[in-house]
Amino acid sequence: MSEEENKPKLKLAVYWGAACGGCCVSVLDVHEKLFDVVANADLVFWPIALDIKYADVEAMPDGYIDLTLFNGAIRNSENKHMAKLLRQKTKVLVAYGSCSYMGGIPGLANLNTKEDIFERIYNETESTINPENIRPQERYEVDEGVLTLPEFYNDVRTLSQTVDVDYYLPGCPPQTERLLEVFTAIVTGLGLPPKGSVIGAAEKSQCDECTRKKTENKLIKKFYRPWEIVDDGETCFLEQGVICMGPATRCGCGNRCIMGNAPCRGCYGPAPDVIDPGAKMMSAVATMIDANDANEIEKIMEDIIDPAGYFYRYSLPASILRRKMR
Amino acid sequence: MEEIRIGVYVCWCGTNISKMVDVEDVAREIETLPYVVVARDYKYMCSDPGQDLIINDIKKHKLNRIVVSACSPRIHELTFRKALENAGLNPYMFEMANIREHVSWVHTSREDATKKAKALVAGAVSRVRWHNSLDKRFVEINPATLIIGGGISGISAALEIADSGKQVYLIEKTGQLGGFAAKIDLSSPFMYSAPQMINPKIDKIFKHPQITVFLNTQVEEMSGYYGNFTTKIKTEEDHEVELKFGNIILAIGLSTFDPSVIENYKYGKIPDVITSLEFEQYLISGKILRKDGSVPKNVAIIHCVGSRNSNYHDYCSRLCCKNALKYSNLIRAAIPDANIFELYSDMRAMGDGCEELYSATSRKNVMFLMFDQKNGMPDIREASSDDNCKMVIEMDEKLSGERVEIPADLVILMVAIEAQKEAKKLAQAIGISMCGNQFFIERHPKLDPVATTTDGVYIVGSCQAPKGIPHSVAQARAATARILARINVGHVEVEAATAKVNEDICCGCQTCISICPYSAISLDEEKQVSVVNEVLCKGCGTCCSACPNGAIRAQHFTDTQILSQIDGLLEKSLQLQEGLL
Repeated sequence: MSEEENKPKLKLAVYWGAACGGCCVSVLDVHEKLFDVVANADLVFWPIALDIKYADVEAMPDGYIDLTLFNGAIRNSENKHMAKLLRQKTKVLVAYGSCSYMGGIPGLANLNTKEDIFERIYNETESTINPENIRPQERYEVDEGVLTLPEFYNDVRTLSQTVDVDYYLPGCPPQTERLLEVFTAIVTGLGLPPKGSVIGAAEKSQCDECTRKKTENKLIKKFYRPWEIVDDGETCFLEQGVICMGPATRCGCGNRCIMGNAPCRGCYGPAPDVIDPGAKMMSAVATMIDANDANEIEKIMEDIIDPAGYFYRYSLPASILRRKMR
Repeated sequence: MEEIRIGVYVCWCGTNISKMVDVEDVAREIETLPYVVVARDYKYMCSDPGQDLIINDIKKHKLNRIVVSACSPRIHELTFRKALENAGLNPYMFEMANIREHVSWVHTSREDATKKAKALVAGAVSRVRWHNSLDKRFVEINPATLIIGGGISGISAALEIADSGKQVYLIEKTGQLGGFAAKIDLSSPFMYSAPQMINPKIDKIFKHPQITVFLNTQVEEMSGYYGNFTTKIKTEEDHEVELKFGNIILAIGLSTFDPSVIENYKYGKIPDVITSLEFEQYLISGKILRKDGSVPKNVAIIHCVGSRNSNYHDYCSRLCCKNALKYSNLIRAAIPDANIFELYSDMRAMGDGCEELYSATSRKNVMFLMFDQKNGMPDIREASSDDNCKMVIEMDEKLSGERVEIPADLVILMVAIEAQKEAKKLAQAIGISMCGNQFFIERHPKLDPVATTTDGVYIVGSCQAPKGIPHSVAQARAATARILARINVGHVEVEAATAKVNEDICCGCQTCISICPYSAISLDEEKQVSVVNEVLCKGCGTCCSACPNGAIRAQHFTDTQILSQIDGLLEKSLQLQEGLL
């Protein structure tokens, strides 16, 4: 056997918390490169692809797994349990994707309470008939024993609000090329930044790579949602009155949305040192409103439908706001 | 990185702070915080021994950050920054926690006030850790001066500055110079002719090569700062002119009280009830006549109309008594056999020559009748046909205790002096404070009477409080001396806490460029990053909040500094509320 084959393989785990599955698919998107990965790594746990049970993970010695890509936010007690377990079993824990990094789309649930959400789902939705007001129980005794469900938390949290995280790899989902770069860096042990860094993304924001024409003339008289306007395909979205999170968002995704003529939604998260990209972008957009009269300003602002969803689409749990109080 | 060593100084401010805050307890508790090497309390931190305490500790304990918890930074931040400099430390390694205006003066529970003081100081300690050294910056002073108001104060200041060879822009809202001094005939108490005093000065103003006069012009907005102000004005000819200057003198003068709101006096209802200002016009025209052209046989002069009365103005208008005495003298000279009545509430003619004028007047067969502002204000009514006069004034004469009726054909109301209507707008545009009566407030009522809390802005004449010509002129010249002294220095230290671009982060989105109120930011076309012109930047922070990715930071007001301050404050206050932390 060659020296290369003698080298012990990396033990790799991929896990999902409150996630849509897109992050796991992005790992699969490495296509034939997966063979390179498999050549260097053993996949020891990956619920979407492999039948390995939680008990198998519990049985692993501490620090057994070299790298875990944890995607999804922490929404319930199962997510939290697995985050703690994987932290214990893993050398390098990566918050993989926007949900794990900043709370992501599931994090928008922090605009409601658990009770609001249950009320809507189990009572109010148009397809629900629940006159006895039955709600999911965390414990239910049947003849065969006790059935349990995870506890649904009031707050959605990020991975780093739950356990110690080594690196953050943003994106919804992360670009597969970036994953390969990061994986290579970990395999070779080279080029890893200090613990706590964002990896697989650049420091500058989207505008740095954006090829659209931009000027200082960001004066907005009316905000448009993308479908309300015919994009000229070459002018900065903001200068056309379309909110683009690009200025407040790291580049690294390859300007994907913008190249596809859609404004950036902010999934790659803020520049270094920015705590609250939503607040940053709101304050930037506020400076672009081309009016001095309070009533006119208010009228222009009304065109921003769902500002929390626009500006905090991926970052609410990680923001200074974190959640709606009540 | 250097080890952080913080010194904390808690001031008693005599009893100002110590009566409501347990300053010793604050110092004891703060000394236990991380990075705090020494924490002390002292009677007066701003005194020389207080400052020496800091300077010696910096040397002895190798301190590199200082927190003083005392009064408002508006008052003593510069004092302590200087102390740091004297000890060889960068003045920006300093943070002040205001436990006087924000704590001891506004709270009534010593226990709660002490807790709040601890939390504020803990916030300052937490913030100062992140402070960085900043370099002093100087810019040249623009030697021109803007004077707003063309009355005697503005005129005096303008001539003084212009005669020294410096440019003056003199702005007057009306169509002529001279202000109130131009609306009177003789000035009291020495009866100098006001026109003879003021007209040659006005001539000189118009001829002076260093003075540009803008009549019928008002200042609406002001930008810039001490040494380099800018304003845009619309001239009479409707041209827009931009003026640049280093200092501002506000000399907008006074306005007068409208007596029609005092029902007793029937001003506006009975034609021969007139104001003192209207009577000056009679004097200038040389004729003291009633509206029907007849010579008044009985003239009554009522003092304190709108002054010293809690329904109108609490303050004394200061000039009315001596002017009323002047009127009695002039009426006696013009109509020798007239009956003259002075209805006063207290005789307050004071200052050079005023007492003499009072005694001279009282020897001229003028009847002085005293009334009480609260009970017994004079009441004017039209006389009936049986009466030998046109009006009757009824009042409780205070000295005799009698209710008396006074005949009158002409009544002169000595109207109060008020602040100008535009004072508030101007104060807001320029950024200076006003008192409740809308007069401008000086920096210090005793030690700094013509300066304001905004550097480079001076207030002179009656816009600060009612005052006569000599005081107005004295103030004008005082401000002039201050300004010329500063112009002589030639430069002014400006804010070192400017905005700074991190070129590694800036992506050239240009959001900051149009938002900067000082046009201090431009785009480096080659690097595609924003560039801040440090001379133009005033450190206002607008760009920093506009920048969507944190590439522009306000030095000395970074997110880290502000959030650490909040963290420190909240942590301590939660700690002090039992069970919360």
